[in-house]
Amino acid sequence: MYKKEEIILQVKGVNLTYDRPILRDINFDIHNVTRPGMVTGQIVSLIGRSGIGKTQLFRILSGLLTPNSGTVCIDADLHPVVAGQIGVVPQNYILFNHRTILDNFKIGLRGAVEKSTEKQKEELIHDYAERFELKEHLHKYPAQLSGGQRQRVSILQQILTGHKFILMDEPFSGLDPVIKDKVLELMVSVASLSELSTIIIISHDIESALAISDTAFILANQKGKEGSTITETIDLMSMGFSWNPDIKQNKNFQELVSQMKFRM
Amino acid sequence: MKFLERLFSPFAALSNRTFTILIIIDCVIALVLWQLFASGGLIPTPEKIAASVLRIVGTGDFFDNLFASLTLTLKGMGISIVIALAICYLSVVPIFYPIAKFIIKCRYLTLTGLIFLFTLLTSNGHNLKISLLIFGIVPFFVTSFLSIIDGINTQEYELCKTLRMNNWQTLLEVVVIGRLDQVLEVMRQNFAIAWMMITMVEGLNMSEGGLGTMLIKSNKYIDLGTVFAILVIIFSLGVCFDFLLAKLRTWFFPYTKLQVRSNV
Repeated sequence: MYKKEEIILQVKGVNLTYDRPILRDINFDIHNVTRPGMVTGQIVSLIGRSGIGKTQLFRILSGLLTPNSGTVCIDADLHPVVAGQIGVVPQNYILFNHRTILDNFKIGLRGAVEKSTEKQKEELIHDYAERFELKEHLHKYPAQLSGGQRQRVSILQQILTGHKFILMDEPFSGLDPVIKDKVLELMVSVASLSELSTIIIISHDIESALAISDTAFILANQKGKEGSTITETIDLMSMGFSWNPDIKQNKNFQELVSQMKFRM
Repeated sequence: MKFLERLFSPFAALSNRTFTILIIIDCVIALVLWQLFASGGLIPTPEKIAASVLRIVGTGDFFDNLFASLTLTLKGMGISIVIALAICYLSVVPIFYPIAKFIIKCRYLTLTGLIFLFTLLTSNGHNLKISLLIFGIVPFFVTSFLSIIDGINTQEYELCKTLRMNNWQTLLEVVVIGRLDQVLEVMRQNFAIAWMMITMVEGLNMSEGGLGTMLIKSNKYIDLGTVFAILVIIFSLGVCFDFLLAKLRTWFFPYTKLQVRSNV
C-alpha cells in the first residue's frame, strides 16, 4: 500500500542549448510517496546513456546551471530551485581535501538552517558517523579514504547541511558488485531518514538504479529530433518492484532491465 | 647489467636510496672533472674554492654580511608575499582582475631602467633595495599563484554553493584556506628569484654590506677564488632554504603528503 501525495519537485519545459541542443523539453514530477506506518522517502532515477546530457540535467536540477528555458521547482510551495537548496554528490566525491572528515562535516553543519551549539554538532556528527561507518575515520583526511568511504562522507556532508533532496551523479560508477550493494543499502537508508527525503540518482547503470527506485525516467534521443528528452517514465511502485531488497533476483525485474537496455 | 639498463630507461622507478647514491656519484664525477680541467686555468679548482670558503667563513664580517643579506631577503619576501597574496585573492573580484593581469605582465619590465625612479621615490638605500626586491618578486609570485587559482576545480566552488556558503565564504574556504599549502610552495619557487636578486640590489647600496656587496668587491679585484667561494655559499644557502620550505610545507600541511586514492 502506497500513496502518491503532493508534488515535491517539478521540472517544466527545460531546454538547454550550447552550440547544439543538449536537452529538449524536459518535463517530469516527483511526488511525495507515503506508506502507512513507515517513513518512506523517495528514490528517483534518471537513466540515460553516456553523453546524453545527464550531467547537464544534474546541474540544472541542483540550481548550479540555468537552462535556456524552463523551470525546476521544489518543495510543497514549488518555488524555483536555487543553488544550495539541493544537495549534490558528484561522481568524483569532491570534498575539502585540506580538512579532516570531522571538519568537512562541521562545514556541512555550518550551512544548516537549524543552528546548534558546538556540543550538539559534535553529538550529531558522531551519531551519523556511527550509522555511516565513518566514526574511525573522523580525524583522517579525504585522501586517506577509499572511494566508497569518500562517497559516504560526501552524502553525509550534504545530509548534515539539511538537504532533503540529494542528487547523486553516477553513484555506482567504478564500484565492484559487493560495494555496489552496500551503496544501494546506504541510499535506501538515507531515503528513509525522513518522509520528504528524496534521492535523485543520475546513472547509466540501469539494473542498480532500478533496483532501489520507486520511479525512473529514461533520458534518450528521439528519432529525427536533436537534444535528449524524457522518453519514458517507469513507475516501479505500480509494478511491485519497489522497496524489495531482493528485487535483483526477480525474473520480471530482470526482464524489465533487459527491455530497458534494448530500448535505450 | 639490468640495473644499469634501468638507469638509462625512461620512466624507470628507482628507490630513494638509489637516487641519493646516483646524485652523490654525479657530484663526485663533476668535481673530479672540474678539478682536472680547471687546474692551471682561469677558473679556480674545487680545492681552491673550498679553501676560500673556509677562509671567508672564518672572517669576522662574514656572518654580519650573511645576516644583512638574509634579513633583507626575508623582509623583501615577507612584504612581497603580503602584497602578492592580497592581489591574488582579490583577483577573483572582477574589479581587481585587470590589476592582477597587469602585474603579471610586469615580469617583462626590466628593473635596471627603473632604479632611478625608485631612488627618487625612496628615502634611503635600505628602502631602495627593499622596494626593488618587492617590485622584482611580486609579478612572479602573482603569476605562480594565479595559475594555481585558475587551476582550481570548479566543482570545489559548486560544493561550497551546495553547502550554502556565500561567495566570500567560498573565497575564504577554497582559495585562501584551501590553498595555504600552495602559498608555501610558491614561496619556495620564488625564494630562488629573491635570493638571485639580492646580490644585484645589494650592489646598488653597499653601506649595509651583504653577500652581494662581498661578491661585487671580489669581482672588482678579479679575486675569482673568493667570487666562486661566495657563489658556492649563496648556492648552498639557497638549496638549504629550498629544503627547509619544502619541509615546512609538509609539517604545517600534512595532507600535502597524501595522494587521493582511486575509487573503491
